[in-house]
Amino acid sequence: MKKLLIGLSVTASLLSNTVLAEDADAVAFREAFLSGTATWEDVQARAKEEGTVNLYYWGGSDPINIWMDQIATAGLAELGVKLNPVRITGTKDAIDLVLAEMNSGKGLGEGSVDAIWVNGENFATLKRQNALFGAFADKTPNSVNIEWNADDPRSLLNLRDFGVETGNAEMPWSGEQYVCAANTKRVDRADLPATFAELKSYLEINPGKFTYVKPPHYVGNTFVQAAVYAHNPDGTGAAPFQNSIGDVGAEELARLITPGLEYLKALEPHLLGAQGGNARYPEDIGALDGLFLNGEVDMACKFGLYAVATGLNNGTYPEGAEAFVFPTGNMIKNKNYLAIPANAPNPAATLVMADYMTSVDAQVTKLKFTGMPPGVDPWKLSDEDVQALTEASPGLIGVTQADLDANTAPDTNATLVDVIEATWLEYIERDSTDSIDVIVARAVENLEK
Amino acid sequence: MARRQIKTALNTRLSTFQKIYLLLIAGFILGPFIPLIIQSFAFRWAWPDMLPSTWWLEQREKSLLPLAWDYVLSPYSRVWEATINTVFIGSVVTVICLAICLPAARVLAREKFRGKAAFEFFLSMPLIVPEAAIGIALLMIFISLGLAGSYLGIIIVHLIPTIPYMIRMLTAVYQGLGRDFEEQAMILGASRWQVMRLVTLPMLLPGVVAGALFTFLVSTNIFLLTFFMGQGKIITLPTLLFSKIAGGTLDASAAGITLVVTIPGIILLLITERFIKEEAFGKGFGN
Repeated sequence: MKKLLIGLSVTASLLSNTVLAEDADAVAFREAFLSGTATWEDVQARAKEEGTVNLYYWGGSDPINIWMDQIATAGLAELGVKLNPVRITGTKDAIDLVLAEMNSGKGLGEGSVDAIWVNGENFATLKRQNALFGAFADKTPNSVNIEWNADDPRSLLNLRDFGVETGNAEMPWSGEQYVCAANTKRVDRADLPATFAELKSYLEINPGKFTYVKPPHYVGNTFVQAAVYAHNPDGTGAAPFQNSIGDVGAEELARLITPGLEYLKALEPHLLGAQGGNARYPEDIGALDGLFLNGEVDMACKFGLYAVATGLNNGTYPEGAEAFVFPTGNMIKNKNYLAIPANAPNPAATLVMADYMTSVDAQVTKLKFTGMPPGVDPWKLSDEDVQALTEASPGLIGVTQADLDANTAPDTNATLVDVIEATWLEYIERDSTDSIDVIVARAVENLEK
Repeated sequence: MARRQIKTALNTRLSTFQKIYLLLIAGFILGPFIPLIIQSFAFRWAWPDMLPSTWWLEQREKSLLPLAWDYVLSPYSRVWEATINTVFIGSVVTVICLAICLPAARVLAREKFRGKAAFEFFLSMPLIVPEAAIGIALLMIFISLGLAGSYLGIIIVHLIPTIPYMIRMLTAVYQGLGRDFEEQAMILGASRWQVMRLVTLPMLLPGVVAGALFTFLVSTNIFLLTFFMGQGKIITLPTLLFSKIAGGTLDASAAGITLVVTIPGIILLLITERFIKEEAFGKGFGN
C-alpha cells in the first residue's frame, strides 16, 4: 500500500511538477521557534489564534479514547487550544495522508495532520521523506522532564527510535517494555521458561501452547529481535544491532542473525497449530490477547509493562495472568512518540499540545486511565512527581521493577528491522530453501531500490 | 385483508421439510447476532465457556472507565456522530445517484446506439477496480481541488461504486416496463408530465425503491474511500467500526457498536420491504 502510494505520488508530482506551497507566516514561525528567537509566550499566543490541533492516533483502545476525549481535551481547552483527536486504524494511514498531501503540494500550515502518535518504521518513513517539522522536542517548557544529554546512556530511548536518530523531531510520550505474561492457572510458575532454550523444552512437553505475533507487525518483529539478540554468535547481544544496515553490511548481518532465525525455524513445529500441520501466528495484539484469554496459549508476549494489570481490569486477560522475566537480559525497551509532520496546519497549537502531553499531570492521568507507562524520565522529576506517578501506576504483577530494569535491551535499528523482517518472512513463512546469506543479501538489495 | 388470507393459506400449505428449510435460513441470518448480543454484555468471556464468566454489570461499579454499553452510549464512542454522518451521506448519495441514473437508465433500456454494449461493460468497471487504487488516485486530485476532508468529497467518491449498481437495477426495471402503458396514457390524452407522474413513476417505484435501498446500504458500508476522502476527520459507522475491531478481537464495546451499526440498515429494510410489497403486489401491475 505504502509503496504503491509513494510510487503514485512520486509519479503525480513528477507529472505536475508541483511546487510545495507553504504558508509564509507559519514558516517564519517555525524558523523563529526552532532557532530559539520565539519565546514560549509567542507560541502560546499563536496557538490561541490557530485554535485547533489535529492529533492522529491509533483509536482501537477504549481507555485511550476516553482519556483523549475527557482529560486531554479538557486540559488543552484550559490552554486555549481545542484538541481534535482523530482515531485511526493504523498509524501508516496517517503517514500516507501526510505524504500524499505533501506530494500534492501542501506545505507547512496547509496539511491536515498536526501530530501523529508514532514510533519505529513509521517515524523512519517520515524522516526519510523529509516530512518532519524539525527539532522541537527539547525546546518546550516541559522538555525538562526528559533526558536529552547524550552523554547520559539513559538518554538513548529519547534520542533514538528503533536505532534511528530522532533528531528531536518527535517528543517521547510513553515508554514501553516487551513483557511476557503467563496464565498461572495453567502453568506452574516454576515451569516458566526464562531463556529461549527453556521455551523450546517447555513446548516439547506442552506442544502448541505458545505462539508470537506474526512479523511484519512490530510486536512480532520484536520477538524475532529478542531471539536474534539471545543467539548472537559473538555473545554481544543487542550491541551490533544498533547500527544501520549501511554500517553493518549484508554479509555481517546474515552471520549475526543466522543462529536466531535457525532457532525460530526449529521452534516452529512446536508452536500453536503446528501439530495439525500449520503453525499459527496471530496477526496483531488483539488476536494474541484472544488466544491467551481463551487458553489456547499459556504465554503471550507484547509491549505492555502494565498489560497484566490493565488486562485484568478490563477483562481481556484471563484470571491468573502474571508477568514473568523472559528472555533473561533481552526484554526490549523502547519509547513511543508524538511527531509533527512538516505540513502541520497548526504548528504552534501542536507545540502547546506536545508540551501538555509531557506535563507530569497529563502523564499521571494517562498512566492511571490507560495503563500507558510514562514517557518522561523519573530522574528528571521531583520526588513529589515521581510519587504521583507511582501512585497512578496500575502496578506490576508477577515481576518487580528491578527485574525489568535488570533485563533491559535496546531496540534494533529500523533499517535492520526491515531486513530481519523480510528474512523472517522468506525463511520461515515461505519456507525458502535459500540460505540466510542469500536471503539477507536479496532483502538488502530490494530495500535499497 | 387479502394479504392475511394469502399468508394463512401459505402457512397451512408448508410441509415439515419446508419449515425446517426456513428455520435454517433464519438461523443463518439471525445466528451471528446472538454471540454479538451476549458479547456486548460481557466483561470476560473466554473459551470454552458457553456464557461470559463475568458480566459487564458485575464490574460496572468497580471500573474507573465506562465499559461495554456505558461506553457505546457515552459521547466517547462517537456512535451518535457517526450515525448521523452515515445516514446523511447515504441519503444524499442515494438522491444524487437516482437523479443521474433514472434518465441514463431510460436511455440504456430503450435506445440503441453505437457502442452501447461496450458502454454497458464500462459501467461495471468501478466494481472491478480495487477501491484502494481508486481512493489513492482520487485523493491526490481531491486534495488539489480542496475537496479532501469534506462531506462533498465523500459524497462524490461514494457515487463511484453506487452508480453501477443503481444503473443496472433501473435499466432492468425500464426494460421490463415497455412503452405500451405510456403510449396508451398518451393516446388517452395525458400530458408528458401526467404520464411521468401517474404512469411511469408508480410503475418504476418498486425498482427505484430497491435501487435506492441498495445504494444506501452500499454507501453506508464503504470504508476505505470514506477514510481517504474524510481524512479520518469525518467519521462514519464503518470507519468507527474499523478503528474498533482492527485489533482482531471483538470486545464488549466493539460488539455494541457493531449492533448499532446494523440499525439504520434494518430500519430502512423494514420500511422499504413494506413499500415494495404494497406497491408491487398490493396494488399489482396494471391489474
